[in-house]
Amino acid sequence: MPKAIVYLNQFFGQIGGEDVADHEPEIRDEKVGAAMLYDQLLDGEVSHTIICGDNFVGSNEEEAIDRILGFLEDKEFDIFFAGPAFQAGRYGNACGSIGKAVKKEYDVPVISSMNIENPGVEMFKKDIYIFPGGQSAAKMKEDVTKMVEFGNKILNDEKLLPAEEEGYYKRGIRHQYFLPDETPAYERAVDMLLKKINDEEFTSELPIPELDTVDIADPVANLSEATVALVTSGGIVPVENPDQIQSASATRWGKYYIEDVNRLKNRRSEAFKTIHAGYDPAAADTDPNRVVPVDAMRKYEREGKIGNLYKYFYSTVGTGTSQNEAARMGEEIAQELQEDGVQAVILTST
Amino acid sequence: MKLELGNFHVEDIEFGEETAFNDGLLTINKEEALEVVYKDEHITEADLKIVKPGDMVRLVPVKEAIEPRYRVDGGPVFPGVTGDLMQAGDGRTLAMKDMSVLVVGKHWGGFQDGLIDMGGEGAKYTYFSQLKNVVLVADTDEEFEKHEQQKKNRALRWAGMRLSEYLGETLKDQEPDEVETYSLDPITKRSKEVNELPSVAIVMQPQSQMEEPGYNDLNYGWDTNNMLPTFMHPNEVLDGAMISGSFMPCSSKWATYDLQNFPLIRRLYEEHGETINFLGVIMSNLNVAMDQKERSIQFVAQMAKSLGVDAALVTEEGYGNPDADYIGCLVALEDVGVKTVGVSNEATGRDGGSQPLVSLDPKADALVSTGNVSELIELPPMPEVIGELESLARDGLSGGWEDDEVLGSSVKEDGSIIMENNSMFCGDQIAGWSPKTMKEF
Repeated sequence: MPKAIVYLNQFFGQIGGEDVADHEPEIRDEKVGAAMLYDQLLDGEVSHTIICGDNFVGSNEEEAIDRILGFLEDKEFDIFFAGPAFQAGRYGNACGSIGKAVKKEYDVPVISSMNIENPGVEMFKKDIYIFPGGQSAAKMKEDVTKMVEFGNKILNDEKLLPAEEEGYYKRGIRHQYFLPDETPAYERAVDMLLKKINDEEFTSELPIPELDTVDIADPVANLSEATVALVTSGGIVPVENPDQIQSASATRWGKYYIEDVNRLKNRRSEAFKTIHAGYDPAAADTDPNRVVPVDAMRKYEREGKIGNLYKYFYSTVGTGTSQNEAARMGEEIAQELQEDGVQAVILTST
Repeated sequence: MKLELGNFHVEDIEFGEETAFNDGLLTINKEEALEVVYKDEHITEADLKIVKPGDMVRLVPVKEAIEPRYRVDGGPVFPGVTGDLMQAGDGRTLAMKDMSVLVVGKHWGGFQDGLIDMGGEGAKYTYFSQLKNVVLVADTDEEFEKHEQQKKNRALRWAGMRLSEYLGETLKDQEPDEVETYSLDPITKRSKEVNELPSVAIVMQPQSQMEEPGYNDLNYGWDTNNMLPTFMHPNEVLDGAMISGSFMPCSSKWATYDLQNFPLIRRLYEEHGETINFLGVIMSNLNVAMDQKERSIQFVAQMAKSLGVDAALVTEEGYGNPDADYIGCLVALEDVGVKTVGVSNEATGRDGGSQPLVSLDPKADALVSTGNVSELIELPPMPEVIGELESLARDGLSGGWEDDEVLGSSVKEDGSIIMENNSMFCGDQIAGWSPKTMKEF
């Protein structure tokens, strides 16, 4: 029988009210308070209840998470419920931060419920499933029922429908979906066009998300003394591609030593080539310096325009590479460069 | 311009003594058909197969799909490509419906090639599993690209066109099951009633990213990389003026079959005179350099404005870099007062969490989404494979891989596969058939 663990705050865990809000985290191998309701509705069994004071999480978040993850280390569980937190901001934050950590560490489905006004919704809806909930405990049964019904679908391996049908807050996670009525794209497009022409309401299938733009960095104070690195998404690698960077949808990057190199030799010399599948490789294979301009940087070095060129260049492939993977690789590379005292980076594409 | 498409519904296909079409039955003399294929000395090995919906057959690497046709007054089905240049879109063309000619590499695949499952759970991912298909499976002596990830597939694609013209010729002198008539009066000579309807155009952005000749879509044989946006009659597209190229992850491509049947165009035709005044096609492209993108976008917006377009569909054959042209074009049209709807797929990553298009703008407020290129798809083994299954993992197909830390190889020892939607043959059906959309999960 599938096992669930439920997270509750001091109030719903029946410790007490505001006066015990700094109650330290504890785990009990029984169903406390609201956990009994979960147990009744679940196609499975609630094995443990975790209880923690909202203020304790608020002021010692890292410690609370560490201790709770520790409690779970030797427990077997298939699903994790937190809350419902209703409109309570601190409780919402606790359900979200603990739920997120449990999801990350144990990779089980984590389900919570919060009122739309709860700041926890915006903070954590991307990390865990959060269902819209009532403002107060009067809605306890209703909110828990929604959470458990969805949890049961997961436990029973039923096909999960899009967020708008299941009811949880949209998480910015988009997957392809075969329309049950199979309405082809040409019908949807022309219908949408006619509605737009006639100033009728229509629903875009891709609402434009808020853009995640990066501010332009401040200028380098003294370029003539700066160490400058070359980083590329243009796929220039040693011909044997030692790091097995993928030609598309890359998840790997590599760094290549160029301390004594005045210019990159090309594919014909069995030195460097591009493995990027998204552009015509002819020019880059003939002269890889046109993607990773080592030659030009050496010239600047000699002219004193820059202090020196960093001893490695970094490379990955940008085509089809998802934004999340790109951001992760970028962070990893940036960390290395920062630790090694690089002051500026020239990022070349294709 | 008036195009009559005479449709013949193909109910069954079989090999036999004589290549002929009679009462819905297409019979093929294999030997004679292969002679047509071998007319190009670069074809070294070739065979024909017949596959039908529901057959437990996997095809990979699939390079092209073509609808067999015959041009009644003579002339090539693909002017400027399979014969002399001539005006397409005016006159009568006979077409074999419910079937296609598929071209499959006997061994070698590439970035642009795809996979089709005719039956089982994989069938839903492509349009071509719903058709009866004559499959040309062949190899060539194009050694220069055998181990290249980017392949022009020239000999194979042209062999497919020859074969489809050869099959189409059996329709000569026969009466079609039905005739579809596509006709538009010249723009300035339309009736008052039609003129008062909102004027609509479709902006097509065919794949043109490669600088070297041989990879891009062709417009009357002309590399679309070398053209500026141009105004075309929709009949030209439906009648063989455009052929597919050999570049771009496969699910985002338009096969030649898609161009011959372009459902978005056909749907606009249905509305013509009823709810809209369908002006025609603004044929643009998807070049890679920023100034080329901006120049094309500027031409599209200018042309739309000069023609008096009130509303437009915009659709791109591709994703990634071309998203800049797609969104740029939508924004430029909105800026000159044209109401737009875009049709394309998305790239949200395997986890669905990435930005859907490389470029986004709030002015692109009406978009139709046809799939996620990086959706992971696992499929069980198939009893029969036409082509070479290993190519999915070995040859750099856009949705396949040789090795992955977590997922292993795309091709498992038992013949089951794990791949990205990227390599489903024209799987996102951006031409308009797609029954898929994108939803939040």
